Parts: sequence; structure tokens; C-alpha cells
Amino acid sequence: MKIKNGFVVRKVGGESVVVPVGEMSKMFHGMINLNDTGAFLWNFYTEEHTVEEGVEALLNEYEVEKDVAQADVEQFVKTIVENGFGE
Amino acid sequence: METGGEKLKIEDVLKENGVYVGPTVGVSMLPMLKNRRDTIVVRPKTERLKALDVALYKRGEAYVLHRVIQPIEGGYIIRGDNCYADEYIPEEAVFGVLTEFFRKKRKEAIPCTDKRYLRYAKRRVKTYKLRRFFVRLKMKIRAAGGKILRALGLRKKRS
Repeated sequence: MKIKNGFVVRKVGGESVVVPVGEMSKMFHGMINLNDTGAFLWNFYTEEHTVEEGVEALLNEYEVEKDVAQADVEQFVKTIVENGFGE
Repeated sequence: METGGEKLKIEDVLKENGVYVGPTVGVSMLPMLKNRRDTIVVRPKTERLKALDVALYKRGEAYVLHRVIQPIEGGYIIRGDNCYADEYIPEEAVFGVLTEFFRKKRKEAIPCTDKRYLRYAKRRVKTYKLRRFFVRLKMKIRAAGGKILRALGLRKKRS
């Protein structure tokens, strides 16, 4: 899975917000707030990676149990795909 | 400059979150903000705006982000940095103010209190009449050129 081009992540008041740019801003009009894990995964998936690779990256970055990381990544990927941000 | 939140009610976001972060749409705030490239950070208006502030208001259903040229009784004289006409906007119509913005892919935001930014804003307002003179001159030259070309038969006459 890879996040489509056309988004930038902006840090505002300590929080990460995803903003569409270019053609993507014609299609998407919402505001996506990301927590730390979400921002990390968003940046990770700007390049093509599998769920397993996402879990591995999360385990390397944060002190977290593997099943928690697995659930977080699966939820993240599901949300991204369901909302049409992934390809 | 209109914002990209056509389907998102920015006034609702401001009430709920206290901040709106989104793309820009349009050319009226050039050269500061470029169409669908830059990001604006708007917060609710909590006090009367002052000259050089950038106000968010609605014109019909469209959101507009333009600069306050002069606060006047009951409202503001407002103009986009790339516009050549003033607007009068009543106080109650303005609900947000630009507090920072991101240009291109830069990670650092430019706060609206930034000295370099404020120098730009002052210069933009100060040079308005001169810029307007050259824009009008350019339009006159273009119109005269068109007339000459039509008279010489090098361009089709307007139907």
C-alpha cells in the first residue's frame, strides 16, 4: 500500500494535519488530524510498503507490543484505503 | 483567495477545533499564497482586526481570505494582495484571521508576526497605487494593440 501523491503533512501547534495540494485539493475538502503514530505511518507509507513492513517500522520506532503494532497498522491501512487515500 | 474547503464548513471547524488548516484556492493573494500549493492556518477572530491582518469571511457560499487595508467604523476596507478593487466587509461577516501559513513544501510555517512577512505586507499595501497604474497601463496598451491589429486586418473583429 502507498499513500497517493497530493498531500502534505503540516505541523500546527504540535499536531500533524494532512492537507491536500494541487489536483487532490479539488477532490478532498476535509481536515485529517494525525496523532504521533499516525504521522509516523503516514510518512512511512508515502512509499510502497506492506502491512508487515509497517509493523516492523513501528516496532523499531516505538516501544510497543507486536500485537498492538499489528492492530494499529491494520487500522491505519484500512482507514487510508477506505477513504481513498491509498493505492 | 478562496479556500479549498467548499464542502467543509470552516466556521464549524473553527468553533470545534479552534483552528482550521487547509489549502488555498485562487490567485487573489498572490504572490504570498499560490493556488492549491500553499497551506493556511486560520484561527477564530477574537478581537477587532487591524491593518495588514488577513481576514476570513464569506461572500455568498465562498470563503474569502483577503487583507485588511483599514479598519473603519462597523467593518473593514479589505483587498486581496493581487486585487485592484477594495471591498467593504462588515465586522460581523469576518469570523477568522490568518495566523500562519506554509509555502511550497517547506516544513516551517511563517507566522503572521514574522518581521520579514510584515515588511512584505506593508510594501504590498504601500505600492498598490503604483501597481494599479501599471496594470491599467498594460490593459490600455493591450486594447490599443488589439484595435491596431483589427484595423490592419491581422485580427478578427469582435462579433
